[in-house]
Amino acid sequence: MEGFFSVFTVELLNSGIRLATPILLAALGGALCNQAGVLNLALESKMLLGAFVGILAAYYLGNSYGGLLVAMVAGGLLGLLFAFLYHKYRVDLVILAIAFNLIIVELTVFVMRAMFGNVGTWSDPSIARIPDIEIPFLKDIPFFGPLLSGYNIIVYFSWLATIIMFVVLYKMRSGRHLRAVGENKSAAETVGINAILLQTLALVISGALAALGGAFLSIGHLKLFTRNMSNGRGWIAIAAAMFGVNHPVGVFLASLFFGFADAFSVRIQNVTDLPPNLVKLLPNVATLLVLIIIGLRSKLALSMARRRFRAQLRAEEAALPGESST
Amino acid sequence: MKDGRFRKLLDAILVPLLAVLSGLVLMGILILFLRKPLFESYAVLFANGFGCREYGNCIFITALERATPIILTGLSAVVAFRSGMFSIGQEGQYLLGAAAAAWLGYAIHLPPILHALVIILAAMLVGAGYGWIPGVLKVKLGVNELLATIMLNSIAALIVEYLVQFPMRADTSAVAHSPVIDESAQLMSFLPGSKWGVGFVIAVIAVVVVYYYLWRTKPGYEQRMAGQSRKFALFGGIPSDNSAVRAMLISGALAGLAGAIEVMGVHRRIMTGFSVGLGFDGLTSAILGQVHPIGVFIVAILFSGLKLGAQIGLQLKLDIPRELGGTIIGFIVLFVAAGKFYEQSIVRARAWSTRKQGSNLKGDSG
Repeated sequence: MEGFFSVFTVELLNSGIRLATPILLAALGGALCNQAGVLNLALESKMLLGAFVGILAAYYLGNSYGGLLVAMVAGGLLGLLFAFLYHKYRVDLVILAIAFNLIIVELTVFVMRAMFGNVGTWSDPSIARIPDIEIPFLKDIPFFGPLLSGYNIIVYFSWLATIIMFVVLYKMRSGRHLRAVGENKSAAETVGINAILLQTLALVISGALAALGGAFLSIGHLKLFTRNMSNGRGWIAIAAAMFGVNHPVGVFLASLFFGFADAFSVRIQNVTDLPPNLVKLLPNVATLLVLIIIGLRSKLALSMARRRFRAQLRAEEAALPGESST
Repeated sequence: MKDGRFRKLLDAILVPLLAVLSGLVLMGILILFLRKPLFESYAVLFANGFGCREYGNCIFITALERATPIILTGLSAVVAFRSGMFSIGQEGQYLLGAAAAAWLGYAIHLPPILHALVIILAAMLVGAGYGWIPGVLKVKLGVNELLATIMLNSIAALIVEYLVQFPMRADTSAVAHSPVIDESAQLMSFLPGSKWGVGFVIAVIAVVVVYYYLWRTKPGYEQRMAGQSRKFALFGGIPSDNSAVRAMLISGALAGLAGAIEVMGVHRRIMTGFSVGLGFDGLTSAILGQVHPIGVFIVAILFSGLKLGAQIGLQLKLDIPRELGGTIIGFIVLFVAAGKFYEQSIVRARAWSTRKQGSNLKGDSG
């Protein structure tokens, strides 16, 4: 048991936060799309695209920060393509997502092999990993210092994005309009909100965020690209968005939960002899449980609403004869 | 009457046909980018995907063998989609069915035909059970079946990986695999040196049965109605919840059957990396095949031929990465999804041709 508890250290929390970052970025994008009423199941492919384009651009530009920007542009463009196909040709977003999830997995490997020969994994010594940044003063605080400082810019950006998204969605007019579109598109359109523009924006931003999450994997965390590198994180991000009820703060906490579960399953392999496959089940089972809890909660809310409605009806019925008697 | 039916069939296959053609054109563009010979590439692709080298040595037979599990997982998707369940859980059900089949194949010993039947039934039951979970979650709690099946897929993959690496492992070789299943549990193949056999026949039977069930029986009709409009089905007195769960049971059983056949007819054991995305191939063939059993049958063969041609033709003979096959399949699905684009141009072309005929007639009379 000694070994089991030795797992819980600041390093575990650190790696949890790192592993949570790509999920958080993609999940924020997914939540934004859900709020705008466009189900985005293509986060996985946008992440993978970001991972590939990011490392490729970092290689050709000789600058990893440039790679991040190019990855975001690529993800945004893919989001724009989705919006175009969805609004112009009424293509089903789910089938579109399935098609692109397939295309990007194969196309990235195809292009990689066409450019760099028959390799399964590609890297180049000239590519620099995005450096970690120590925040002055903050890093000297005991416990919280090492916890909050020493990550690369993408991690800090993901925290900033959470705050910005909260402010925009809940404190600004455009955010309210976006949520109105998600609530009822035609009603929002009748009061003059440009629903198509807002949904397009949501898809573009979510594409850029997911691609940045992918670039975190290829040039922020590791320094290579390999087939299907996102490895299901896009799907977990969708679950995280749902777990966090599409609210930025909720999504942030949900992503951290998945990141910690991931870090825990990596760490526990070193100290116990639990089979790694079974430990890796943890985040997946957790996601499924979350989906079930969400279902239970909405069902509970529905039955509560029904009960309240009945009580109201009864109260009105009780009040009515009183009125007629007077 | 007959003309109308022909027209309907033409309408059904026109969009997928145009999508496949567009995919092949796109493939040509990608090949030109690689500076490889264009026409030779097509020739190599088709010769190695659908051709015959000599009598009795046909690659097409291999394509049929590879198509078998895709047909069954495709049918599994058809049953789910037609009943309004957007399940993509075929992969997980397939894997668990395969694991069950492999275990029963070496753990129990029965006379020949009985053994095979027991295994097939058990694998179908396991698949059905795994399909039942998202079905019930959807009906009782409104859990999105798409997300639930995604999670169940990765859970099944990890469980099977664990089973193969630990309890079912035969020896300490580099690639973990289970012991070989008994002779009595193996499915016969038709030709020596080929794995194309009884499994394919079972798949063909499944195509017919699924078609008959969905379009010619009462429960099948109920399922399709519930799939098209839940409210309409409820109004007509069809308990759509029951039919959704039933659809998931059947869908799971078909995917489990696919896993069993792959173990019993092809690999004769289960090993790490057993599934190479066959569940997703079934899904794509269902979408491209217009969610129809016969469409799935044709598309599955087409897909496995394309993949085979890309793998043993393009990659080995012309040094073109074999991922080209998968890429093109993905784009074909995209083109089918964007079917509105083709439909608009078809309508425009028809309008143009009728107007032309009309003006000709006018010219004749005048």
